[in-house]
Amino acid sequence: MRIVVCVKQVPATNDARIDPETKRIVREGVKAILNPFDTYAVEEAVLLRNRFGGEVIVISMGPEKALASLREAISVGADRAILLSNRAFGGSDTWATSYVLARAIQKIGQVDLVICGKQAVDGDTAQVGPGIAAHLDWLQATNVNHVEDVTDRDMKVTRMHEDGYDVCELAFPAVLTVVKGINIPRVPTLRGRLASLKSEIPVWGPADIGTDIDKIGLEGSPTRVVKTEPPKPRSTATKKISGAAVDCAIELVRELRLRSIL
Amino acid sequence: MFHTVQNKMYHVEILPPKQDTEQLEADLESFSKKYNRVINSGYCACITDNAMGLLGFQGSEIIDVMGLDVNPEKVVIHLNTFHTKEDLHNILDTCKSRGIKYLLIISGDGSDRLPRLKPEDVNAMDVESVTSVELLKYIKDCCPDDFVLGVAFNPYEPPNHEFEKMQRKIDAGASFIITQPIVEKNDRVDELLKKYPHIPVIVDAWMNKKLQILSEAVGYKIPDDETFDPVVTLKKLHRDYPQCGFYLSLLSFKTQFDLLPGIWP
Amino acid sequence: MRLRQEYEKAEYKNIWVVAEILSGKVQPVTHELIGAARPLADQRNSQVWVVLMGSGVTSQAGSLFTFGADKVIIVDDERLSGFVDELESKVLVRLIEKYKPETVICGATTRGRALIPRVAVMTNCGLTADCTGLGIDPENGDLLQTRPAFGGNIMATIRCPSHRPQMSTVRPRVMKAPEPDLNRTGETIQEAVEDSDTAKIKRIIEIFHSDETVVNLADARIIISGGRGMKGPAGFDMLRKLAAKVGGAVGASRAAVDAGWIPYAHQVGQTGQTVQTKVYIACAISGQIQHLVGMQSCDLIIAIDKNPDTPMMQMADIAVQGDVFEIVPEIIAQIPKL
Repeated sequence: MRIVVCVKQVPATNDARIDPETKRIVREGVKAILNPFDTYAVEEAVLLRNRFGGEVIVISMGPEKALASLREAISVGADRAILLSNRAFGGSDTWATSYVLARAIQKIGQVDLVICGKQAVDGDTAQVGPGIAAHLDWLQATNVNHVEDVTDRDMKVTRMHEDGYDVCELAFPAVLTVVKGINIPRVPTLRGRLASLKSEIPVWGPADIGTDIDKIGLEGSPTRVVKTEPPKPRSTATKKISGAAVDCAIELVRELRLRSIL
Repeated sequence: MFHTVQNKMYHVEILPPKQDTEQLEADLESFSKKYNRVINSGYCACITDNAMGLLGFQGSEIIDVMGLDVNPEKVVIHLNTFHTKEDLHNILDTCKSRGIKYLLIISGDGSDRLPRLKPEDVNAMDVESVTSVELLKYIKDCCPDDFVLGVAFNPYEPPNHEFEKMQRKIDAGASFIITQPIVEKNDRVDELLKKYPHIPVIVDAWMNKKLQILSEAVGYKIPDDETFDPVVTLKKLHRDYPQCGFYLSLLSFKTQFDLLPGIWP
Repeated sequence: MRLRQEYEKAEYKNIWVVAEILSGKVQPVTHELIGAARPLADQRNSQVWVVLMGSGVTSQAGSLFTFGADKVIIVDDERLSGFVDELESKVLVRLIEKYKPETVICGATTRGRALIPRVAVMTNCGLTADCTGLGIDPENGDLLQTRPAFGGNIMATIRCPSHRPQMSTVRPRVMKAPEPDLNRTGETIQEAVEDSDTAKIKRIIEIFHSDETVVNLADARIIISGGRGMKGPAGFDMLRKLAAKVGGAVGASRAAVDAGWIPYAHQVGQTGQTVQTKVYIACAISGQIQHLVGMQSCDLIIAIDKNPDTPMMQMADIAVQGDVFEIVPEIIAQIPKL
C-alpha cells in the first residue's frame, strides 16, 4: 500500500496571554510546529504501513523551513518526504494548494491512499483534503476516527458528524481526513530523530510536477484576502463574584436573568 | 542502594535532551559530558523520563546510542507509566543489554503526546489505570532477576493514602525509595524512615534557586519573598537525615557541581 | 468558473442556500442561511434558492419558503440518504452549471465543509470556509466574506473577484433565523440524480445516532464545559445535570478528554471543536490557549474556578471564584424547574 500524507507547518500556539484591554489572546513566540491534526495522519499511515506493508511518503507545500516538519514525520516512521517549494507556489489559496498537492500525488504515482489532518490550526479551513480528492476525482471521507477491514481494494472508515457517526466502505484510491482520537501518535525515538536529520528530502517545483502556471500561486487562487483586522474586543471589565457557594450561585443566576438567558 | 549512602554517592539528576530541541547533536554532547562528569566524580547518574510531561528522549536509548559506559552501581533510569507496551519492552531490553540495574518506577506525568500503559499491557486486569504499583509488579514478573526497582514517596500527598500506596509498592517488590524534593526537615519523611528502617531512603534535595518551580510541581506552599540557598539547605538536610542517601534535583552543573565535594559530612 | 471579462458576471444570478440535512431533517442552520441570504439577494435584485438534496425530503420544501426562499430545487433520491460526498457534489455541480447561481452558501457543518470544497474545485470556484459575516460590494456584486483565522485571533475579509459562483460555508448559530411567514410560498423545481457511477462513490454501511455520541456543540445555545479540575467522570455528571436544566450541551477541555472522563466529541478547542455560543460556562478550566481559541468568540463567557488568576478567569465576562463542586449544585438548585 502506498500512502501519501499531506502535512503543513503551522505557528505554535503555546505561548500566549490575555490582553487585559481587549480580553483577546496575545500570541508570543513564533515557533513553527507540525500541524497537530497532521500528527494523527502520519501515525495512521505508519500503522497501516506496518500492518499491510508498502510505503509512507509525506509531502508538504511551504517554505524551506517546512523541512523540519517533514523530518519530524520521518522521525516517527514515514519512509520518505518531498517538499513542494517554489516562489511560484506562494500566495496559493486552498484551491491552488490542493491542486499542487494533487499534482505531486499524481507525479509520485501508484498511490492508494492520501491521509490529511482534519484541518490546519492556522487557517482552520478544512478545505485542502476534499480539494485534493476533487482534483484527483477520488473518493473522500472526512472527520475519520477509525479505520478497519482494509483490503487491497477498499477499507471501512468511521466518520464523526454532528448527529453521531457512520461507517462507510471506501474504494481505493481515496482521500481521508482524520481527527484526534483515531490513534495516539508515537513520540520519536532518538534513533528515529537522528535518522531523520540525515534523510535526504527532495524539493519539487512547478516543473517537477507539471502544474499549469495559471492554477498556482496568487494567479491560480480564486480568493483574495482584502482585509485582515483584529476581532472586536470583548467587553472590558470582568464581573467578579466570590464568597459562599450559595451566594455565588444566587448572584450568577441573577446575572443570567438580567441578560435574559434564563 | 545502601552503597550510595555508605559511599556518600550523590544521585545527580540529568535531564535528557528535549524532543523539540533544535540542536539535538549539541544537546547530546552536553548530556554525555554531564553523565561522564557524574560517573567520574564517583556519583550516581539519574536520568529522568519525560519529567513534568515535557517530552525528552529516553535515557537508556541515549546511553546506548552515544555508547556511554555503564557502571551498574552508578546509573539509575527513571521509568514511568506513559509508554506503549512496545516502548516499555524496548527500554527494558536496552537496559538489560547495557547492564543498567537500577530503575526508579514512577507513575509519571502525562501529556497529550504521551500514551499510557493500559491495564492489559501489564497483566493488571483488576485496575482501571496503570500506576507505578502495576508497572513494578509487571517488571518483577517479566524480568525477575535483572533489575533493582525503586519507587517514589510524595510527602505532599494526603499521608494516609500515600502510606497505603507505599505499602503496596513495597509489597510489589520495591527495594529503595526516593522522595519528592524537599527543602527542610519533613514530618512525613520522618514517618517514612520509621516505617521502613530496612529500606534505603534517598532524600531529594531541591537544588534550583527558584522555589516557585517546586511549588508548581508539587504544590509546596512558599511565601513570596522567601530567599532560598540550595547549598545551605543541602547541608542542613544532611544533618537532619544522616542515615539517608541524597538525590539532587535540577542541580546546576555550571555553578553547583564543583561545590559538592566536602558537603556530605 | 473563471471569468475573463467583468460583464460575464451578469450571467450568474441568485443566491443559493444548500440545505443542511441530518437524519432526513432540514437543520436550523438552513433557516439561518436563508435569513442571511435574503437581504443580499434583495440588494442584487435577485432571488434566494434553496437546494434540498436528500432522501424523502420533498415534504420539507414548503417550510423553506416561509423563512424567505423564493425557489427550492428538490433532488429527492434514495441514493442521497446519508452523506455521500461524491454523489452530492456531482449533483450540485450539474445544477450549478445548469442554473448559474451568483453565490452558493452552505452551513459550515461537517457535511458542508466536506461537500463544498469538493464542489468548489470541480467548478473552479473560490470558497471561503466558516464565515461569520457576509456582505456585498455594490460596485461589482462581489461577496465580502468575513471569517476568523488563527482560532479567532484575526478576522479576514475575502472576496472572489473573477470567479462565479462565489462560495462560502457559514458557521451555524451566527446568523439569525427569521420569523417564519406562514403565508409565504414559492416555486419548486424537481431535479434528479443523473450520473451515479457506483465505483466512484462510497457505500454507507450503517449510520449511528446514539445518544452517547450526539454532541451538537455548534448548535447549542449554552455550553457547560469542564476541565481538569472536574477530577473525574462524576464531575461531568454534575455538569450534565446543569446542562439539562438550562437546555445546554456539555463541552470539555483537552485535559478532561485525554484523561478519559468524557468522549472526544465533547472537546472544545484547537484539536476539538470551535464554538460560538451565546453562553459558555467554563468550570475549572484554566484556559490554555488551545482551549481559548476554540471558545473566545462566544457572546458571554462565565468562568468558575478556585484560582482567580487563570487565563480563563481573566478572559471571562463573569468570573466566579470558588469550588465548582459546591457552586454548580447551588446553581442547579437556584434555577426553577422549567
